Amino acid sequence: MNFAENCKESILNGDIELAKKLADKAISEKIDIDLAIDAFSLAIREAGDLFEEGEFFLPELMRSAEAMKAAMTIFEPILKEGKEDRILGKVVIGTIEGDIHDIGKTLVAALLSAEGFEVHDLGADVPINTFIDKAVEVDAQIICISALLTTTMVGQKKLINQLKEKKLRDKFKILIGGAPISKKWVEEIGADGSAENAISAVKLAREVLGI
Amino acid sequence: MGSMIIDQGLEPGTPPEKWNVSHPEKIQKIHLDYFNAGSDAVLTNTFGGSRMKLSAHKHGQSTEKYNQKAVELAREICPENCFIAGDIGPSGAFLPPVGTISVSDFEENFLEQAGYLADADIDFFCIETMVDLKEAEAAVKAARSVSNIPIFASITFQKTKRGYFTIMGDTVLNCVKTLEKAGGNVFGANCTISSDEMVDLIPLISQETNLPILAKPNAGKPQLENGKTVYLTEAKPFAKDIEQIIKNGAKVVGGCCGSNPEFIKEIAKHVKGE
Repeated sequence: MNFAENCKESILNGDIELAKKLADKAISEKIDIDLAIDAFSLAIREAGDLFEEGEFFLPELMRSAEAMKAAMTIFEPILKEGKEDRILGKVVIGTIEGDIHDIGKTLVAALLSAEGFEVHDLGADVPINTFIDKAVEVDAQIICISALLTTTMVGQKKLINQLKEKKLRDKFKILIGGAPISKKWVEEIGADGSAENAISAVKLAREVLGI
Repeated sequence: MGSMIIDQGLEPGTPPEKWNVSHPEKIQKIHLDYFNAGSDAVLTNTFGGSRMKLSAHKHGQSTEKYNQKAVELAREICPENCFIAGDIGPSGAFLPPVGTISVSDFEENFLEQAGYLADADIDFFCIETMVDLKEAEAAVKAARSVSNIPIFASITFQKTKRGYFTIMGDTVLNCVKTLEKAGGNVFGANCTISSDEMVDLIPLISQETNLPILAKPNAGKPQLENGKTVYLTEAKPFAKDIEQIIKNGAKVVGGCCGSNPEFIKEIAKHVKGE
């Protein structure tokens, strides 16, 4: 098995230790880091495809995302040293206030982070101002707001209105998620998009940033 | 129950169980509407009434009160020959790698809630909407350890390209066998899948078990229209699917998200000729 195949195996098996070892090896043996990251990235996308196919379930996908994150953490200092910015973008994500459902949001956060986004996960039941303050603080490009309940979805609208009032709306792309979310709702509240599932959410995040 | 409480103005961030204390008349009215529509049993308003789930809303200290009161409210208006099910839903927390809690946390959580419900005199337990078999197993074991009354155990399956699984990847067979062994007396499926999907799922369950089967599908998938969530399946086609679900082997039927007493009325028409 060659190096790239090993990388793929570590991610698909959710083998955090192997992923770390391979990342270390890439550095110590001066293997092209871009090639290594590409190999890991291809594998995490395959994990996503397997999830959509019903071959992978939540635990497998989370383990793959964790293995990916472990490898990326090892590459991070090298990438920064070389002043090569591999961070795709900064994302602030959370479940809106009043709503304690965080499984979908956590999955999106894990996959965004595995893809190479810098993710600030605020958890569940997050007040509107906490989203905005954090996004301003870290200079985020994207704010992801999750709401599973029909009663809390209005929080997504409130957040966007609040941004408009503060004249900050154009500073961020707003992606919304949750079971009851429809295209119509996205348009009604003036969000920038919504995805069917966590895998498409990652594609959408790239899309709205034009990468 | 949940959809109805939301329709009646539950504030975001408030656990529905709080209404057992703050709006008892509304909870009783909902129960009564169901009994009048033809329900043989109603579920107590305790779906999110375990300490873990209530604590997420900062209401953990009211766990005992909310559960006791829920049973009292249902008992007061329960007609003769009808039943009260003590409802237990998921804790909202997950085992690794998704979350950080342990199976013993689940057990402790459900032992407490099941104890309050059993002490308050329910007729049977309804453990439902479980997406993780390990959590469902912990809840069934906890309920069995506090009481000998029947336990209905219901899992939430998803339809994938390879068939029906929980989101954690548990198969129908594994769910049936595990929960039967844990002490469940009725096995079922509820939530997420719609009534037409439930028609297909029931035969897959019935080939794996001799236990009576429960089926509580959603009224289709939720859609947002003019800022309000609507479920696309209406009462009549829903009841028609239920008729087929019964032919396919279900013994206990009802509705989950998006259903209301109107749905039960239609089902009762088909099932009981009312």
